[in-house]
Amino acid sequence: MGGTHSHEVSFFKPTSEHGKANKKLIIALVIIWIVCVFGFQALLILFAKPTPEANLISFETAWSGAAQSGATETVQKTLARTFLAVLGKNIAISADHKKVLKESLSATVLSLVPADQKAPFQETLAQNPSLAVTTAIQVIGLSGTGFDKIMANLLPSSLVPVASEEISAENKTALPAIMKLYCTHNQCGLTTMRFLGFPFHYWYTAQFLLILFVGLCLIYAIMIGRINRKFKFIEE
Amino acid sequence: MSRILNIFWVFILGIAASAAFADAAAKATQLEGEFKLGPAIILIIMLCTFVIVGLLNRAKDTSTYWAAARKISPVGAGMAIASNWMSAASFLGMAAIMYGSGYHGLSYVVGWTGGYVLLLVLMAGQIRRYGKYTASDFIGDRYYSRGLRGVGAAVAIFISFSYCVGQFAGIGLMFKWILGINYTWSIIIGASVVLSYTLISGMLGVTKNMQIQYVIIIVSFMLPLFILMHKFGYFIIPQLGYGHLVSDIVDGLDKVKGVTAMGHNFAILPSPEFAMPWDPSTGMSSFQWIAICFSLMIGTAGLPHVIQRFYVVPNANDARWSVVWGLFFICLLYWSAPIYSAFGKVLSASPEVGVLAKDAIVVYTAQLGNVFPLIVGLLAAGAVSAAFSTVAGLLVAGASAFSHDLYYKTINPAASERTQMLIARVCTILMAAAVALVALMNLGLIAQLVAVAFSLAGCTIFPLFLLGIWWGGSNRAGAWAGLLAGIGVSLVALIYFVVGKFGGTLPAQAFVNYYLNAWYFAWFGAPLAIIVNIVVSTATGKDTPEKIKEFLYHTVHGNE
Repeated sequence: MGGTHSHEVSFFKPTSEHGKANKKLIIALVIIWIVCVFGFQALLILFAKPTPEANLISFETAWSGAAQSGATETVQKTLARTFLAVLGKNIAISADHKKVLKESLSATVLSLVPADQKAPFQETLAQNPSLAVTTAIQVIGLSGTGFDKIMANLLPSSLVPVASEEISAENKTALPAIMKLYCTHNQCGLTTMRFLGFPFHYWYTAQFLLILFVGLCLIYAIMIGRINRKFKFIEE
Repeated sequence: MSRILNIFWVFILGIAASAAFADAAAKATQLEGEFKLGPAIILIIMLCTFVIVGLLNRAKDTSTYWAAARKISPVGAGMAIASNWMSAASFLGMAAIMYGSGYHGLSYVVGWTGGYVLLLVLMAGQIRRYGKYTASDFIGDRYYSRGLRGVGAAVAIFISFSYCVGQFAGIGLMFKWILGINYTWSIIIGASVVLSYTLISGMLGVTKNMQIQYVIIIVSFMLPLFILMHKFGYFIIPQLGYGHLVSDIVDGLDKVKGVTAMGHNFAILPSPEFAMPWDPSTGMSSFQWIAICFSLMIGTAGLPHVIQRFYVVPNANDARWSVVWGLFFICLLYWSAPIYSAFGKVLSASPEVGVLAKDAIVVYTAQLGNVFPLIVGLLAAGAVSAAFSTVAGLLVAGASAFSHDLYYKTINPAASERTQMLIARVCTILMAAAVALVALMNLGLIAQLVAVAFSLAGCTIFPLFLLGIWWGGSNRAGAWAGLLAGIGVSLVALIYFVVGKFGGTLPAQAFVNYYLNAWYFAWFGAPLAIIVNIVVSTATGKDTPEKIKEFLYHTVHGNE
């Protein structure tokens, strides 16, 4: 860009000492700005790899175990817990996926209920699922503390009427992908490291970059004032 | 200034007096649907304050209407920049995006602040030294073309228009929440009030109001956060303490730290999707993160109503310092917005809370956290204030673009001051009515609707300013070509968006929706417009008039 005429203005070819100093300052600040904003995200793209939650590993182990040697009670309990753990993400789950998870959870709980209680339990599920909560807590084996307590509190809104203790073929096909979608997260050292309590990457983006922006503006305002004085640059 | 302070104190006393209605105000704990007396009183007091300030500072002529007589200090101008900037998108929309899409929402936080660095180092001082009133004034003058001035004005009006749509949606949501009336009526009432106020006061009133509005916005936004942090056992300074809250969401929180307004424990199962980058569950990719961030930054430096703020400071030095102060004031809110989404995530973790409108999550969070109802009311009033301050500035920018650039400079140069003023006011009314109609269509989340305006500005106005200021070789033909390229990309993105929204399908719909999405098409459009401008300017020769080159050389860049 630019030319040789005495009145040509070009950012890259300033004609005065003041212009050259201004250009250097702008280029330095813009490079810092680009590297800090987009460079860091590029690092995340480069290093963060899809990492399964412990919940997904439990699910996949139980799911493949059930496929190979049938669903034992322990496997069914594990599956019920993993479904609840995903339903606990609540707002992150789409309505369609919630439906699949709720139906699968309810079928799994039904399969855990002793044979002589299955019919009344199924009737309760059909009429008022929230009344089936106590039985569900017992058969899954949820304790009254920690994450178990949160899972137990999810049950009233998670149990739905089901026709069979078998997870439907349609849901069986959908479940592995659904579980993988919600239980896989892009992670690396930058996301697992903690700083001021934050995952480092979150602090960097949500707080540090904003501090940097204010800092860059402050530096520019101060520096351009000095440059103006140094070169006796009168603005108005 | 002392008069303004007095009015502000009257506002505070009015709010304190409304505490007398505390029993009735307790209804504010209802999430939706009921008339909430306390918040309504706060809102009415706030609106009356704005109108009184507007009346005390009403515009006397077009110069006053457009440029506030250039009497504003850098700190005052910084507050006005922040208030003008902190719209419903900042107050409500950012938390909504982060609540629903986690880390993806931070692209809005970074995009809406990082652009100020570009604006400051590349444009603020130079724009002030150029000394025009409106963005299209600059374009018409720099590129010596009445046609470009007209198109620039039309683009500026369209940008202001699309920016306003998101604001009206925010006003509608908050009026709906406070008054318990339906969305349609709340938009009609809100639009009428903000319109009356803008017509009465003009930009001088707007600027002074903006300083008061900034204080109201920031106080109302911060206060509930301190209460929530204290109530749920985190370090009381929200910006320093919420790191542990984010980590609690990622790792899960099973210790009892308190109870929500609906009686659920403040607890959550491990939810890393809230904080991890471009989480698969959000459906957002790293490309989209970067595209949105870049588009918002570029758009910031091209928004007519933001650029126009530099005309209301006395000199270029003040223009620069007003940006520094403005960005600092803006960041106070932007450092805090993610905290609402984090608390919202935990407080609405129980499915029994139901599906909440994401754009109102800020207010719902305060309610679910059992914050005192009048403070929740103040928060909602603050959201209205944020939307009002921005809408007022946008309506002035849109109206002035029409009456000054389209009518006076392009159509009828002989128009009197009185006629110009009348045209500006009629235009303001028409624009507000049209915006209200579009806002009723519910086309997207507030932040997304506002992002459209940024991409438009990034594709059209930004390249013209960037090259117009920094390269004397950019000529009329290059400006036309670049502007048309930017408008072309914008049209493609918006046509595909609208067609998709109403269920239609066009060729390569999925490809265009992903790569030229309405929220971030400037990542492609802005560089394209710049390249086209440079290529065509170079190819058509250096025909920029000597007097413009001299003006750029001596006045704008201060060369001897």
